[in-house]
Amino acid sequence: MKISAKDIALCGVLSALALGLSVWESLFPLSLLIPLPGVKLGLANLVTLFALYALGPRRALAILLTRCLLGSLFAGNASALLFSLLGGLVSMAVMIALHRSGKFSVFGVSLGGAAAHNVGQIAAAVIALGSTAVIGYLPLLLLVSLVTGALTGLLVSLLLRATEHLSLQ
Amino acid sequence: MPTRSSTPKYRPTAWDAWIFAAVIALAAIVAVLFYGGASRGGDTVVTISVAGEVAERTALAQFDGEHVYTGNGYTLNVVAQHGQIRVSHSDCPGQDCIHTGGIRRVGQSIVCLPAQIVIRLESASPDGADVIVG
Repeated sequence: MKISAKDIALCGVLSALALGLSVWESLFPLSLLIPLPGVKLGLANLVTLFALYALGPRRALAILLTRCLLGSLFAGNASALLFSLLGGLVSMAVMIALHRSGKFSVFGVSLGGAAAHNVGQIAAAVIALGSTAVIGYLPLLLLVSLVTGALTGLLVSLLLRATEHLSLQ
Repeated sequence: MPTRSSTPKYRPTAWDAWIFAAVIALAAIVAVLFYGGASRGGDTVVTISVAGEVAERTALAQFDGEHVYTGNGYTLNVVAQHGQIRVSHSDCPGQDCIHTGGIRRVGQSIVCLPAQIVIRLESASPDGADVIVG
């Protein structure tokens, strides 16, 4: 696979943006409003979804993996890698499948990705804690994901329209 | 000249409603499975596990005073009052366990991910008698 300098630069910039959004989001914890472990706005998913549409699934996956690896390094927490990887990979798989079907809008893909992200993170919590008790949080997390997924879908739609004229690939 | 691999659908489609419905259905199914057998009071058992190992399992009605649990370097203080159990103090970074508040129904749980401590309310065993402490 040929990788151009433009690809590397673009993926690097988007990875940095995703990392920055993750850190920024941690400064405004949604868990203060909704006391559920793992509940968050998912701002970094803006980048992942945008990259999926603008750059394609391979580059989006590369950006996701870079963000997860570096994010866990910055957090200094190995378990953070399990949570972000499992959530991110499940979300990416669902979004790629929905995107490839050609039937869903950016909103639908985002909704599916947000819900899948929570399922993946709950799975990570079950593995980390050795307990299925955390599955009880999933219903409320899924309902929250409908809101965050819709917001992400809206923002990415606007971004994609605004960058239609750019040759990103 | 845009060279995206596919043209995005910017407006919601009818198919998106299926995603919405599927997420709602999944949430409802998990909620029914987890909380469908809700009960309160005397036949509710609290199980506290640390890093996957059960540290204490006792009837909620018999959970007296403040209990302290330590996991992964973090300490949680757990109290039971007025038929509910809650974390009164924790030195974990997120404090989600404290923000969860009190729980009283079977199926509910308080989870502290940094400490790897899970406080879960379950139905008493079917034969009714066994309560295990320690």
